[in-house]
Amino acid sequence: MRGTSTSKLRPRLAAVALATLAWNGAAHAQSIEDLQHMSIGDLANIDVTSVTKTPQSLSDAPAAIFVITHDDIVRSGATTVPEMLRLAPNLQVEQTASSQYVITARGLNGNGQAQNFSDKLLVLIDGRTVWTPLFSGVYWDMQQVAPDDIDRIEVISGPGAALWGANAVNGVINIITRKAGETQGLLVNVEGGSLQGRADVQFGGKIGDNLSFRAYLSDIYGGDLLTATGARAHDAWTDPQGGFRFDWTPTAADAVTLQGDAEQGDEQQQGAGDEFISGRNLLARWNHVSSNGATLQVQAFYDRESRETLDAGGEFAADTYDLDVQNSFAAGHGHQITWGGGLRTTHYEIQDQIGVASSLIFQPASGNLNLAQVFAQDSWAITDTLTLIGGIKLEDDPYSHLSALPSLRLGWKPNSTLFFWGAASQAIRAPTPFDEDVVEKSGPEVFLTGEQGFLPEKLTAYEGGARALVGSRLSISASVFYNVYDDLRSIEVNPATFLPLHWGNGLAGHTYGVEAWADYQVAPWWWLSAAVDTLSEHFHFLPGSSGLLGISQLGDDPSQQASLKSSMNLGSAVTLDADLRYVGALPNPVVPSYVELNGRLAWNVSRHVRLSVSGFNLLHSRHIEAPAPAEAIPRSVLAGLQWRF
Amino acid sequence: MLCLTLAGAAPAPPASLEYAVKASYLYKFAPFVQWPPQAFASPDAPITICILGDDPFGPMLDDVVKGQHVEAHPYLVRRIRAAARGMGCNILFLAHPTTQSPAEALRAVAGEPVLTVTDGAAASAGGMIQFQLQDGRVRFNADEAAAEASGVPISSKLLDLAASVHRAAK
Repeated sequence: MRGTSTSKLRPRLAAVALATLAWNGAAHAQSIEDLQHMSIGDLANIDVTSVTKTPQSLSDAPAAIFVITHDDIVRSGATTVPEMLRLAPNLQVEQTASSQYVITARGLNGNGQAQNFSDKLLVLIDGRTVWTPLFSGVYWDMQQVAPDDIDRIEVISGPGAALWGANAVNGVINIITRKAGETQGLLVNVEGGSLQGRADVQFGGKIGDNLSFRAYLSDIYGGDLLTATGARAHDAWTDPQGGFRFDWTPTAADAVTLQGDAEQGDEQQQGAGDEFISGRNLLARWNHVSSNGATLQVQAFYDRESRETLDAGGEFAADTYDLDVQNSFAAGHGHQITWGGGLRTTHYEIQDQIGVASSLIFQPASGNLNLAQVFAQDSWAITDTLTLIGGIKLEDDPYSHLSALPSLRLGWKPNSTLFFWGAASQAIRAPTPFDEDVVEKSGPEVFLTGEQGFLPEKLTAYEGGARALVGSRLSISASVFYNVYDDLRSIEVNPATFLPLHWGNGLAGHTYGVEAWADYQVAPWWWLSAAVDTLSEHFHFLPGSSGLLGISQLGDDPSQQASLKSSMNLGSAVTLDADLRYVGALPNPVVPSYVELNGRLAWNVSRHVRLSVSGFNLLHSRHIEAPAPAEAIPRSVLAGLQWRF
Repeated sequence: MLCLTLAGAAPAPPASLEYAVKASYLYKFAPFVQWPPQAFASPDAPITICILGDDPFGPMLDDVVKGQHVEAHPYLVRRIRAAARGMGCNILFLAHPTTQSPAEALRAVAGEPVLTVTDGAAASAGGMIQFQLQDGRVRFNADEAAAEASGVPISSKLLDLAASVHRAAK
């Protein structure tokens, strides 16, 4: 075996010997191809401790996925989840108040005047759903995760209904924290600045060989933004939080995680009483790998969130209990089957908000929302390079009947530097208590009611994309999408008396656009990233719809966004990062486009101490990202000190 | 965590350069090793690389062996939980086995024509090839005696590249 095989390798080695001569010993292996072409003797010359980028394994995910890495997050200086999400080029992020953000992917960010909220994203933290079933949106101020604890954030624009289910319409955001074994020792992090601050104390340890844990306390502070006239907006907030995580690997084949958090925050409100936010959650998960490679995951979580204001009532509390099971196994002839199901029940209680001028009431004011789902997916490796994934989910939503959500994806990887994919899928945004049970009064008069029998909002999405590694220093990703929406929420009139208005499903239309990003390594110590995305929206009222409030109620979305990021390692201890972003003008209500710059300089004084200084929104003294009554965001700086013991 | 993703969707964090180099070594050792005829069912049966316990390579290893052949044998990567007799591995890599100690794992395949490659904590327990970092570079020590005793003799061309060799008694 030896003789013939080495002689077969010899011509290849000879061909590449000329190239290796030029490297002069200190070889740089930047790609899989480089490594394959090197002789075994050359491998011994590669300095694996150098700062050069490691060979990339081109992702073969048939979706428009952007991964915000741990380093991206730490180097951006972001202290809150929405600020971290600005790093994803396929998301629209708008700050409207100190603690409030509007975030969506591929448009439809809603319209406050029309009581339309960004409600088409599924957001998960370690597998726990964090959108509010009361109106399908996300309370971003209640989702605090310490930047250092995040392993990565996966941002997928486009529907993911076949596996995740409920509400993965325009996108899925999956925040994954580090395992307890990766956050050991005592960590103290203190940051303070002109507009925000953050403090974390965390301790991680091990009990025996197989059990590691961490526990933390943190607090975040956001200062007042500015009103349109430049006065302080009195919307500062704090959200102290504590939590823990245990990771236990009792055997080689099993991993068990138990984690929980509790927070209690206080937000000042412009022209109103303080709002108190409170949340607690507990999650348990068991992953099992059997000897034939099949995986099983069983997960259960409890999540309580509540908000209350002192003014005119308006409190709610929701307790969610969820159980999910997922099994994946290889079924021969290249098929990988994943199937599973879940049950979720949310018990909610809403305190009616009764005021002289307006009231917001839910009828019933309390209840249980029950969700059940089953799904199955087959990932079929037709050939070495071609994979077809077909999936279907059956979802039984709290109000609507059974929905079947199919998805078909195709991926073609002709070699390790090129990947093409295409997908067609369906998703729904299921009805919520806000759609069905709400009663809004203007004085004594009922002004608007929910609609019993409100239909789920539907999306049929056609998408495709390509990824490439060009040479050893450039990676590019691009995707295009064409989304067809139906039964979007509209405002309809009472045919006889005009009032009360009620919700209807009278809007439909389509959107299309492009999302592209690239990473380029200019030098071993300097990376540049660029991104651009475009959006074109075409909606219309269905026959019979009132047309009240117009098309703009669906969203006030920029038709283009772009960003340019630079990441430098200066010497072995200093990092310098800058992030320039452009967000196009919002059409209706009009908000001008803006360009802004964030930057961060950090100095790793030693293995134990890191100093950093960050600047946010540096180009203008203040700027506005969303229509009135959104506030203006001033320029700010933040200094940080981190000790690891 | 098992991500709730489309199968194969989430790009795993890339293996470090150190493990990319070790992954390349793993398949490049094969041409320098002589397996007995019964180790392969047919001339185009795959050379099976088994990764025991924690997998430090991830999809990097599968990518690096794609399309590679030694004569007509392609490569196949398997991740396994425990080493036992008659498993069908041609190359066994262990760094952090979790159900067995490294010594137990090596004993389980002693005498079988399996090239054992150790790394990290397991390297001190033995193994026909043991990785070690020297000066920021990945080198390896070779145990010619153990390889010959198990019926997988290593070519002197590979032994010449090793940082140190435990010679077989002549």
